[in-house]
Amino acid sequence: MAFCIAVIGKDNAPLYLATSDVERELDLQYHVHAALDVVEEKCVIGKGAPESKELYLGQLFSTENHKIYGFVTNSKIKFIVVIDSSNIALRENEVRAIFRNLHMLYTDAVCNPFYIPGEQLTFKKFDRAVQKLMSGNV
Amino acid sequence: MQIKPIITYSGSFPLFRSLEAQILNAIPLDTCEWRRTFQRPTKHVRLEAQTQQFSVEPLERYKKGDWSILEHPILHIFVTECNDIDTYKATIREEIDSWLKLLSSYGISDWMILLVETLDMRKTKNLLPRTTVLDKIRLDFGSKNDDRCISVLNPAKFEQKSTESFRCLVQRIRFLMLTSYNRNIAKYEELIRSKREKRNHDDWDFRQYFFMQEDLALIFEKLELPTEALIQYDELDAMFSQFITHTGFNEKQQWLAYFKRPLTAFHGICLSRVDKFEMRQKIRNEGVSLLEFRNYLFERQAYLLLTCNEIPEIAKRLLGFLFSTLREVEFIKLDCQEGALSCWEFVCALEVLQLCEQAMEPNEVTCFQHCAPIWNLAKDKLYELGKLCGLLPGCTPSSEQLHIVVQLSSGIGDAPPQQQQQFLQAMPQLRDRSPNRKPKLSAAQQLKEALGSNQTFQKLYLELAELAISTYKHVTRLRSARLVGLDLGKFYCALNEPHKAVGFFTDLLRELKAENWHMLSSQTLLELANCYRKMGDSLAYTKTCSSISCCAELEILVRTFYFDEFLKSLKSLDTTLSAQPSIENANYCVLEDHFRILDIEVLNTKPIIQDDHLLVQLRLESLYPREIVVDCMKLCYELHLSNDLETGLQEVALGKDCASRLKVTLQLFHKQDNTLNCASVVCDTPKTKQPVRRTSSTKRKLSPSVQADFTNVVQTTNIALQPGINLVELKGKATRVGRWQFKQLCITMSSLEFLSEQLPLNSQPPSFEICTKPASASLEFKTLIAGIVQPIYLNVSGGSFIFPPDAQITLRCSKNLRIRQALKSDETALSNSDAGFENVLQLPLLQFKSFEERRIPLEVLTDMPGRKLSKHHEHHITLSCPWSRTDLQIPIDFQPAMEATCRLHTCGTQKFLQVIMKGLDARLLLQHAKVKCDVAGVRLIDLNPESQAPIEIYKSLTVTYLYEIQVEPLKAEHELPIVKVHFVVKYATPAQPQIWRNYGCAFDLVDYSTLFKLQAQLEPNELCRLRTVCNLNIKITKINENPYVDLMYEVLNDQNLWAVCGRSADMGVVSMKDVDCHSISLDVMPLSTGFLPMPSIRLSKYTAGGKNKADAHSRVHPFPPGQVYNSTKSMQIHVIASVSGDQ
Repeated sequence: MAFCIAVIGKDNAPLYLATSDVERELDLQYHVHAALDVVEEKCVIGKGAPESKELYLGQLFSTENHKIYGFVTNSKIKFIVVIDSSNIALRENEVRAIFRNLHMLYTDAVCNPFYIPGEQLTFKKFDRAVQKLMSGNV
Repeated sequence: MQIKPIITYSGSFPLFRSLEAQILNAIPLDTCEWRRTFQRPTKHVRLEAQTQQFSVEPLERYKKGDWSILEHPILHIFVTECNDIDTYKATIREEIDSWLKLLSSYGISDWMILLVETLDMRKTKNLLPRTTVLDKIRLDFGSKNDDRCISVLNPAKFEQKSTESFRCLVQRIRFLMLTSYNRNIAKYEELIRSKREKRNHDDWDFRQYFFMQEDLALIFEKLELPTEALIQYDELDAMFSQFITHTGFNEKQQWLAYFKRPLTAFHGICLSRVDKFEMRQKIRNEGVSLLEFRNYLFERQAYLLLTCNEIPEIAKRLLGFLFSTLREVEFIKLDCQEGALSCWEFVCALEVLQLCEQAMEPNEVTCFQHCAPIWNLAKDKLYELGKLCGLLPGCTPSSEQLHIVVQLSSGIGDAPPQQQQQFLQAMPQLRDRSPNRKPKLSAAQQLKEALGSNQTFQKLYLELAELAISTYKHVTRLRSARLVGLDLGKFYCALNEPHKAVGFFTDLLRELKAENWHMLSSQTLLELANCYRKMGDSLAYTKTCSSISCCAELEILVRTFYFDEFLKSLKSLDTTLSAQPSIENANYCVLEDHFRILDIEVLNTKPIIQDDHLLVQLRLESLYPREIVVDCMKLCYELHLSNDLETGLQEVALGKDCASRLKVTLQLFHKQDNTLNCASVVCDTPKTKQPVRRTSSTKRKLSPSVQADFTNVVQTTNIALQPGINLVELKGKATRVGRWQFKQLCITMSSLEFLSEQLPLNSQPPSFEICTKPASASLEFKTLIAGIVQPIYLNVSGGSFIFPPDAQITLRCSKNLRIRQALKSDETALSNSDAGFENVLQLPLLQFKSFEERRIPLEVLTDMPGRKLSKHHEHHITLSCPWSRTDLQIPIDFQPAMEATCRLHTCGTQKFLQVIMKGLDARLLLQHAKVKCDVAGVRLIDLNPESQAPIEIYKSLTVTYLYEIQVEPLKAEHELPIVKVHFVVKYATPAQPQIWRNYGCAFDLVDYSTLFKLQAQLEPNELCRLRTVCNLNIKITKINENPYVDLMYEVLNDQNLWAVCGRSADMGVVSMKDVDCHSISLDVMPLSTGFLPMPSIRLSKYTAGGKNKADAHSRVHPFPPGQVYNSTKSMQIHVIASVSGDQ
C-alpha cells in the first residue's frame, strides 16, 4: 500500500523510517528528505492563514513511481508517506486515513514515559503497527 | 478552422446579401452585455458571426438531438422591404407566418424580422401613413416579443440617415444572439449530460462525445470564457483517464481500439502551433495514438490557461499529465520503443519550461516552484536516454546504440514550423527576455542534438542540472537542490572531474548532517571518499575515511576497509604534510563524528589547591570499528566568566539539578542611602538562551568552527581507545587560581586533530575551582592548669607556602609563662627538672614542605599564683611565623591547681590560724607545709601532726593545717596592726613525684587580739519552763585596753523561741569608761520547749550622735570577729513544758 512511512522530528531529523522495499530504501530516504522542502514551504504559507488548522498537507510532490504525501502535527512532527503511484485504487481519503492512524500510533508511542522527545522511535510495538499500516491491513 | 456563430436569413435574399457584409463587419465592432442565466456574472462579449441561407437540415439535427452547438444556427432572420401594407397583407404575412411556424415546429424561438425601409421621401412627404408595415408586423407576430421585429433604413440608400437605425439593428442582433446562446448552451449541456449517461452503452464512442463537449468548450472560448472552456477539457481529461484506468480491460469499450495504435511517433507537446486544430481534424479523420490525443488535450488546456494568463498552472499540471499518461500507456499495454517515452517526457518538459521562461517574472516564485521539478525531470530523462544510448561519460555508443539514436530521433519528429514570433505577439503577457539572443532551439531539436554526440549530451545534461539546482535554490528548496547536486556530483565523477563534484557532495553532506540523516550522510561520505581518492587529496581522504569508519549505519566490512585505509593514509600524511594543524590547513576534524563524550568528571577532592595535580576522568565512546591509538588527548578549560554573585547562585542551583537549566540571577535594588530596598530573583533572557535544548537540535557541522585556548589543559598521551566506551584519565597541573570550566576536547592522531564542537553535557560542562591555601599555625590545648607542666601542641599547616630550609617559628610567652619542646616519653621519666623552659622558644621547621601538616608537641609551665584567686590566669603566646609579617597572639587561660584560704579562730585570748588547701582540677601531692612570720614578737606554733607521707589532694578535697599564733601582748594591735604570715607547701604531680615545687601564699592577719569577752547566763539556772520569765544576765568584760568606750548590745533572738520582756530591753548602750566589766540583766521568756539556743548577743561600737554638728545621728559599727569573744555562744537551754495548771 505504502512504500515508505517516515516520522521526522521538529528539527527535520528522522525519528523513524520504514520502507517496504529494502533495496530502494536509500532512494526513498532521499525522496523523504527532499519532501521536507515542500513541507516547510507549505507550513510557512500556512502561517499567515488562520484556517490552516489542517494537519494534512496533501500531496507534496510526485515522481514517476511515487507520490509523496505529508502531514504535520501541531508539535511540528512531520509524517511523510510514499505511495506507489501506479496504485490508482488508492484514494486520497485512504491516504488521510493512513495519516490519522499514524498520528495515533505516534501519539501512543510518545506517551511512553521512557521515551525522550526528539530521540529515535525504536519501539517494537510501534514498528509492528507501522509495518502493518504500510502493508495496508490495519 | 473557423468558429463563428451562424445566422440564417430568409425572405428577400438579395436584399440581405446587400446588407450582409455591412452587418457582419459591424457586429465585432462593439461589445454587448451578456446577461447570463443562473446568476452567473454578466459579461461584455465581442461577437463575430457568419451567415447562411436558411435551411431545414440543421434544424432536423437539432430536433433529433444530434446537433453541435458549433454548427447550430444561432439566429434566424427574415428580411423584407415591403413598405406597402397591401403587399404585406397579400404575400409577406403568409411567408413570415409559414417561416415562423417552421421554426417553432423545431422548437426554435431565436428569430428576428428585419424590415428594410426604402422609403421614398417625395412620395410620403406630406402624407404620413396611418399604419406602417412594421406596426402591422408587430401586431401580427410580435405580440409578446416586439423587440424581434425591427426596421432599418436601407443604408444603401440613406447613407446619413440610416446610421442610427443601423446601429440599433446590430445591437439588437448581438443581443438576440446572446439570448439565443443562453438558451442553446443550457440545452446543449443537457444533451451532453444525457450523452454522458450512456457512456457504458455498447455503441457509445468516446470520440463522438469528445467532439461534442469540445464544441461547447470552443463556444465558451469564443465567448471569451476560457475558464469555462477549460472545465470542459478537464472533464474530458478526467473521463478519459477514468476510462483507461478503470474500465480499460472492458470489452464494451470498442472505441478504445482507436487509441491502441503503436507509438511509432512520440512527438512532444507543442505550445506554439500555428494551426491549433490540425490535430482535431486528425482525430476526427484518421484517428491518433494515445500520446497524440493526450498531447492535443494538454495543448488545448495549456492554451486556455495561457489565455487566462495562468502560466504557473501549466507548469503545475505538466508532471501530473506526464505521469498519468505514462500510466495510461502502461495500462493499455502500448508497444513502444525503449526510450520513446523518455524522449516524449523530455520534449514536453522542455516545451513547458521554455514557455515559462518567457513568461516568468523572477520575483514570482510560484512558477519557479513548479518549474524546478520539471528541470529535474528533464535532467533525469536525459540521463536515462544517455544511458540507453551509451552517451554517458566514459561510454562510447555501440552501433546498436547508434541505431537506437536514429530510431528515437525519427520518433521525436520535427517541431512544427515555428511561427513563434506571431504567436508571442498574440500573447501580450509573453515577452522575449533578450531579443538579440539567437532563437532558442525547439525542445525536439535540442534533444536530437544532445543524442547526437557525447559532448552535446554532456553539455545539455550539465546545463539542465545547473538549471534544476538554481531553480530549486531560487524557491529555497535547498534539500532538493542538494539532491540534484548529488546527481550532478556523480556525473562529474564519471566525467573524471572529482574536484567539481566535491563541492556538491560537501554541500549535501552538510545539509544531511545538520539534520541527522545518518544513513544518507554516510552514503555521501562514501562518494566524497571516492572523489578525494581520485583527486589525490590525501588529507581530505584521510579525514573522510575516518568518518566513514565511524558510521554505524554502514556495513562493518565497509567500515573496516575504510578504517584500514584511514590508518594507511594517516601514516603517509606524516611525510606529505609539514604544516601544523590549524583551521587554515584543514587538519581539523569534528570530534563528534568519531568519538562521543559521555561524561567528564573531576576526580580531585574539592577544593583543588593551586599547584595540585588535576585528575579528570573522561568517559569517551569511540565509534571506530577497531582499536585506535591516539597520540594525545587534551581537554582544555577556561575561566568561568561570571561574577561572584552568579557563581554563588549557580552553586546552589547545581545542587538541585532541575534548577541548573535556568539562568537565575539575583537582583538587588538599593535606595539612595544604599540600604536595601528590594531583592528579587530574575530569570532573564530566556529567548537568547533557550533553557530547554534538545539533543537532536544540535546542528552537526562538517569542520570544527572554533578552536579554544589550549593553554590550560589536562591531557594524556599515547593511549589506545577500544571501540565503545573508554575511561580515560587526563592529568594536568592546576596552575592558576579561579573557577574553571571545560571547553573543548582535542584528540590528536598523527597530524590530524579532532576538535569537539561542544561538550555535550546536560546543561553546561562541569566546572571546578582552583584555589590557594594559606599556611597557618595554631595552638591546640585542653584545659590548662597553672603550676604544673602542661602539654600543648603547635599545629603548622603549610598550605601552598614554600618554606625556606631554615624556617622557624618563634613563640614568645607572656610573663610567668615558660615553654619548651616536649621531651620524648622516655626522657620524661628520667628528667627531674624543669630545665629547658624558656620564655621564648625558637622552633625550627626542618624540611617543611608545602601542604605539609605538622603537629609539634610543646610543654608550658606557669607559676602557681600565691594569691587566693579562683579566676583564670590569663596568658598569651605570640607566634612569629615565616609566612606572615604580623605576629599572631594567642590567648591562653590557666586554671589554678589548688587554692589556699586562711581563717582566724579565737578561744578566749588564744588565737589560732587555720589554712585550708582546696584541691581543684589537678591531682597533687602535698608535703612540708610551713608558716613563717618574720615579725618579731609573733610566734606561730605548728599544731599539725608530723607526717612523712605526702598528702594527695584532688578536686573537692580540702586539707587543713592549723597553727596557734602568739603575739606578745605589748605589741598587740597597736604596734602591729597587720601581721603577715607566709604559708608555703611543696607539691608535686603524681606523674613526677620527684619534682617538688613550692606553693606559697601570704596571709595578712588583722584584729587578731580579743578586746571584749561576752558572757550570758540564764537564771534560774539551767532549767526553764515554757512561758516562764527568766532572767538573762549579760556580762561584758574588757580584756585588753582599747579605745572603744560606748558599746551597744543587741539580743538577737528567734521570735518564735524567745521573747524579750520590757520595751526596748533587747538593746542598749553601755559605757565601758573606767570600768572593766559591765553586767546587764534582761527578762526573757522561752516560747518553745526543747533545747533552745541561748539568745545571741551582738556587741557593736557605738558613737553617740549630737555631740558635734557633723554627726547628728548616733552610729553603730560592728566589731571584726576576732575582737569580741562570746564565751557562751551556742550554749543551749533546756526548756521544759510549764506546769499543767498554767495551760
